[in-house]
Amino acid sequence: MKKTFAAASIATALLCTSLNSQAAWQDTLSEASGQTVYFNAWGGSDNINNYIMWAADRIKAEYNVTLKHVKLTDTADAVNRVLAEKAANKNDNGSVDLIWINGENFRSMKNNQLLHGPFSQGLPNFSQYVDENARQSLSQDFGTPVEGMESPWGMAQVVFMHDTETLESPPKSIANLLTYAKANPGRITYPEPPQFLGSTFLKQALYELTNNKEALSQPVDTVDFNKVTAPLWGYLDDLHSVAWRNGQRFPSGSEEMIRLLDDQEIDIAFSFDVSSATVQINEGNLPESVRTYVFDGGTIGNTHFLAIPYNSGVKAGAEVVANFFLSPEAQVEKQKPAVWGDLSVLSYDKLTAKDKAKFEALPKGIATLSIEELGKSLPEPHSSWVDALEKEWRSRYAK
Amino acid sequence: MPLTHTRWITAVLASLMIFPIFIGLIGTLLPAFQFLPPIGEYQFSLTPWVNLFSNQEFYSSLKLTLVTGIVAPLISLWFALSLVVWGHDKRFFRTIESLLSPILAVPHAAIAIGLLFLLSPSGWLVRLFSPWLTGFERPPNWITVQDPYGLSLVFALAIKEMPYLLFVILAALKGLKVKESLQVGQSLGYGRFTLWRKVLIPQIYPLIRLPIFIVVAFSLTVVDLALVIGPNTPSTLAVTLYRWFNNPDLSLRLMASAGAIFLMLVIALVLVGWETIHRVFSRITRAERGNGKRRGLTDGLLHLGAYLSIVTLASAFVALLVLPIWALAKRWRFPDALPSKWTWDNIERAKPLLFELTSNTLSIALLSTIIACAVSLVMLETKRISYQKSPSTSNNHVFDWLIYIPILLPQIGFLFGLHVLLIYLDLNGNFYTIVALHIMYVLPYVYLTLKGPYLAYNEDYLLEANRLKYHPWRHYLVVKLAMLRPALLTAFAMGFSVSVAQYLPTLIAGEGRYSTLTTEAVARAASGDRKQVGSMALLQALFPVLVFWLAQYIPSRWTKWRLTLICFFSKDKQCSE
Repeated sequence: MKKTFAAASIATALLCTSLNSQAAWQDTLSEASGQTVYFNAWGGSDNINNYIMWAADRIKAEYNVTLKHVKLTDTADAVNRVLAEKAANKNDNGSVDLIWINGENFRSMKNNQLLHGPFSQGLPNFSQYVDENARQSLSQDFGTPVEGMESPWGMAQVVFMHDTETLESPPKSIANLLTYAKANPGRITYPEPPQFLGSTFLKQALYELTNNKEALSQPVDTVDFNKVTAPLWGYLDDLHSVAWRNGQRFPSGSEEMIRLLDDQEIDIAFSFDVSSATVQINEGNLPESVRTYVFDGGTIGNTHFLAIPYNSGVKAGAEVVANFFLSPEAQVEKQKPAVWGDLSVLSYDKLTAKDKAKFEALPKGIATLSIEELGKSLPEPHSSWVDALEKEWRSRYAK
Repeated sequence: MPLTHTRWITAVLASLMIFPIFIGLIGTLLPAFQFLPPIGEYQFSLTPWVNLFSNQEFYSSLKLTLVTGIVAPLISLWFALSLVVWGHDKRFFRTIESLLSPILAVPHAAIAIGLLFLLSPSGWLVRLFSPWLTGFERPPNWITVQDPYGLSLVFALAIKEMPYLLFVILAALKGLKVKESLQVGQSLGYGRFTLWRKVLIPQIYPLIRLPIFIVVAFSLTVVDLALVIGPNTPSTLAVTLYRWFNNPDLSLRLMASAGAIFLMLVIALVLVGWETIHRVFSRITRAERGNGKRRGLTDGLLHLGAYLSIVTLASAFVALLVLPIWALAKRWRFPDALPSKWTWDNIERAKPLLFELTSNTLSIALLSTIIACAVSLVMLETKRISYQKSPSTSNNHVFDWLIYIPILLPQIGFLFGLHVLLIYLDLNGNFYTIVALHIMYVLPYVYLTLKGPYLAYNEDYLLEANRLKYHPWRHYLVVKLAMLRPALLTAFAMGFSVSVAQYLPTLIAGEGRYSTLTTEAVARAASGDRKQVGSMALLQALFPVLVFWLAQYIPSRWTKWRLTLICFFSKDKQCSE
C-alpha cells in the first residue's frame, strides 16, 4: 500500500514537472519560430554538410526556424569569434548561435563562461531518450563534467583501418603495433598532437603501457607525471625510429592518414568516426578491401555535442535545433551509412518499438563494425592529462 | 588628374587605412603584456614574454623561419633575374610571360597541394616511373616533401614568389632603356650577362625593392603554404603561432600575442638587415663594376639560375595540371600514372552553392578592386605633383610605406585586434566591411603595379590635349587613362586575384556569414581530400585567370574594336577604306 502510494505520488510529481516543462517548451517553440540560427560546424566533409542541409529543411518545415551552416575549418575559429565578441562587450546578438564542439574547446568555453546553459536536460528529446549513465562520455566530455552545458549529438570511438590485401591480420594492441612497425619500417604513424586524434593515441598508448592505471583518473599534478609516463616516452622513442618518415613528420589528422593508407604509404589509419572506412570506400578514397577493427583491450570513445554561446541572440531557436538533432528521426538519418554513419546517442531501451525497428533496419556498411564488435570503450583519463601529455610530446619531439 | 586638394584627399585616405591597423596592433600588443579581459586577465605583466622565451619550440621554429624566410626570397630573386637576363629578348619569352598569370592567380594552398602530390614518395613523379623502372610496388619511405629542413617549403615559396618578382621586374624594365643600354655595352665588347649585372640590375633593384620586401615578409609569415608543405616538428614560427592562437587553452593566446609581436620585430630586422647588406654589398662591388672587365664570374651563376628557374616554372605547371585531373578522378591509386576511374561527381557536388559563392566572390572582388584602383590613382597623382614641384626630393612619400603595412604584418596577430574593433563599432558581419578589409590587402598590390607606368607617363600628351581644348576631366580619362590602359588592366587583374584569394579577412569581417569560393575551398580543403581541393581550386582560379587573360588580351585589340563599333554605327566613308 505504502509502495503504491509512493509510486503514485512520484508519478504525480513527474507528471506535474513534465506538464510544467511541456509548457516551458511550448514557450521556447513559439519564441523560436521565425528565428535564424547560425550553426558553426566543421565543413570539411560533404556527407556531413549534406546531412545538416537535410536537417535544415526539416527544421524549417516543422518549427519555422532557419538553420544556416557556417562551415569552419577549425572549431577554434568560432571559439575565437565568441572570445572577440566578449572582448568587445558584445554580450547579445553574437554571431555564433550553435556550435559543434567537444573536448578541449568545450572545456575552454565552459571555463571562460562563454556558454549558455545548463539547457540540455530541459530538451524534451533529451529527457525522453537519453540516458546519461549509459556511457561515461555523455556526462564527462574528455573528462570535463558536461553539466547540461552542451547537448549530445553523436558517439565516436577510435577505430583502426587496414587494407586486407596488404595486411591481413593487423596488430591489435599498442605493444603489437611496435612489433609490427619494427618488422615493417616506415609503415606506421599517428597524427601529430595536439590534434585530438593524436592526443587520443597518446592516451590509448599510456593506458596500455603504464603500470599505474589508477593514477590516470587523478588530476595530473597530484601524481608523479614523469614516473607514470616514462614507459610511454620509451615506447614512442622506439616507434619513431621505425615510423613513417622516420618520425620526423606526422600526419595532420584522420583525413591525411586515410589518404596515406590509400596511397599505400602507411598500413594502418585511425579515425574517431566508426563509419569512415565505409564512407571513404563509397567516395572512391579507399579500396574496397579496407576493413575496420579495434584493439583487443578496447579503445577510447567519446561523444560530440552541440553548445550555445552565452551571447547568442536566438537561444530558443538554437535549443529547438539541438532538440531536433536528438530526435529519433534525426538520429536514425545520421546513422545511415550512406549519410554519415555516426552512432546514435539515444538509449536503445528508451526508444519506442517503432523507432527500435528503424534502428534495427539500418543497413550496415561493408567496413563498419557493429556495436558489439566495437566492444567496450576505455575510460578517458582526467581532463588535466591531455594538456600535460601534449606539452611533453611537443617539448620532446617538436623542437 | 584635375582634382584639387589631392594632398588632403590622400592624407584622409591614408589615415582611414592606418586607423584599423593601429587598433589591430594594439589588440595584439595588450595581450602580449597579459591584458585580455575576456579570459579574466587585467594585470599587465611580462609573463607572456617569459613563457615565450622559455619555450623550446619557439627557438627551433624561429630558426626554421629565418632560414626559409630568407633563403626563399633570395632564390626567387636570383631565379627571376636570371630568367629575365637570359631570355628577355628571346621570342618564346612572351609565352612565358603570359603563362605567369595562372600561377599568380592560383591560391597558395592549391599550388602547395599540387606540389605535395607531385613530389611526395607516393606522388606523380614516382608513379610515372613505377613499378616498371623503379620496381616500387609500394611507395618508398623517403623524405621528399615536408622535410625537416624546410627545403620543400623553400621550393614551394620560390614557385609562388618567382613569378611575382618576374612580373614586377618586367614592369620595371618598361621604364628603363634596356635595348639601348645593351646595344651600347655590347658594342663596347661587354658580355650580355655581365652588362646586365653591371648596368641594368643595379637600376632595376631600387624599382623592385618594395616587391622584394613584400616577398620577404610573406615568406616569414606564410601560414597556409607552410601548413601543407612545411615540416611540423617543429613548424615555422608563423604556423606555431597560428596553432597557439587556435589552441583551446585560451591562455596560450597571451604567449601567442607576444610571439606575433616578436615576429613583427623579426620582419623589421630582416628587412633592415637585407637593405644594409645590399648597400654594403653594392658599395664593395662598385669598384668591380667599374673595372672595365668584359666578363665576370656571375655570368655562370645567372646561366644556372635561368635553367633552374625553367625547372621551377615547369614544376609549377605540372603541379597545377594535377588539380584538374584530381577534380575528375574517382579512383587514383599508387602506382597508377592516371586515375583508374573517372567521374563528374566532384564538380557536381559544388553545384548547389555555386551561384551564391560566385556572386559573393565577384561582387566583393570587383568592388574592392575598383575602389583600390581609384584610390591608387588619387595617391599617385599626389605623388606626381610633389615630384613635379621638387624633383630633388624624389624619396618615397610616407603613404608609400604606410599602405604596405597590412601586407608586411603577420595576419593572424593583428586580425584578432581588428575583429574586436569591428564588433565595437558594430560593423561586423557586414558586406561593406568585407570589401573594406579586402581593399586593405588589394590596395598595396594595385598601387605598386600602377606606380611605375603612371609616374613614367609623359604628361605632355595631356597638356597638349588641354591646350587644344580645355576639358581636364575628359582628357584625363580619354587621353591619360586610355594610354595607361594596359597598366590599369594589369593592376586591376592583380588586385582582383588578391581579393579572390583572401581567406582570413573574409572570414573575420564576414563572420562566416558570407561565403566566397575561397572560404568554401579552404573549408573543404580542411579534409585534405585532393579531389575536393582540385575541383574547388579550379573554380577559385577560374575568375582570376580569366581576368588576367582579359587584361592581356583587351589592350592590344581595344582600338580596333572601338573603331569597328564606331564605323558600324556611323556611315563614315573613311571606314570602308
